[in-house]
Amino acid sequence: MKERDESSQETGDKWEVQLRKGCLELAILAALWDGKLYGLEILRRLESGSDLIVSEGTVYPLLSRLKALGLVRSEWVESDAGHPRKYYALTPAGKQRVREMAGMWARFSASMSKLIAPLAREK
Amino acid sequence: MESDVEQRIEAYLSRLRGRLRGVSGEEVREIVEELRSHLMDKAATSGEMTAAGVEAALAALGSPDELGSQYMTDNLLARAEVSRSPLQILKSLFRWASLSTAGFFVLLGSIVGYFFGVVLMLVAVAKLFHPRTAGLWTYSDSSGMELSFRLGFSSAPVGGKDLLGWWIVPIGWLAGGALVMLTAHIAIWFVRKYRRSLLLPRN
Repeated sequence: MKERDESSQETGDKWEVQLRKGCLELAILAALWDGKLYGLEILRRLESGSDLIVSEGTVYPLLSRLKALGLVRSEWVESDAGHPRKYYALTPAGKQRVREMAGMWARFSASMSKLIAPLAREK
Repeated sequence: MESDVEQRIEAYLSRLRGRLRGVSGEEVREIVEELRSHLMDKAATSGEMTAAGVEAALAALGSPDELGSQYMTDNLLARAEVSRSPLQILKSLFRWASLSTAGFFVLLGSIVGYFFGVVLMLVAVAKLFHPRTAGLWTYSDSSGMELSFRLGFSSAPVGGKDLLGWWIVPIGWLAGGALVMLTAHIAIWFVRKYRRSLLLPRN
């Protein structure tokens, strides 16, 4: 029984990891909606504004991928810290993409909420 | 002179740089500069950079090998998308195949496609040098009728028939070339689909 509990816990963890990963692209693009940010700012925005536990080693290659896809552009800006920082901003294609993703997300989460509503009553 | 903490950062970045083989020099510089900037910011969150701060920042980024591998995967796939070079495409597919079963099957299919394409073209060329023995031959043996592409280095099969004759030259070139291009096209289509669906290459 204990084994089954552990295995179900593991499956649940994997599902949660996949769920979080799946949301990462939307989360990064959404974080850039209000304006340009550099990598560490994006990470902090994600950590403070969402439940996403983001690995830093994941975000930078992902940003590079989003740039290659033409969804974000980047520029180097000198900082007070004494070194330049690479800022990212949404391109028109990125804005279009994040709008579409946000729409899909809203529809999907609304339908899932409806589906799981009975669980809340059963207590 | 570099301080110990700076040396630690440089050692990490140098190891990462070593893992980014095949990535263009400009891109490597961008990646390394961005991560250096990140590490300096992260390690100096509370003012001065400390050894503990640097170690924590490096640990949070993960091993340089793993990080380099994430950049490499995407870079290779991205280059396959814009390249028509069979070598570049196969290189990317080998990378993909090391990550997923789907990649393995696409690689397998591509190898078969390229192989037959190249064989057709080789036979077309060989026909010019071995007109009597090279070509697409049909002959019967114990297991029934066989079809065989022959480059003409050995003698013609006994009782065999050269199916296409001189037609193998234009047909071999056209069909072989078309097969190579079609294979590249299909492989790139799969790579593109995979890349779009890819958020993270690994856990």
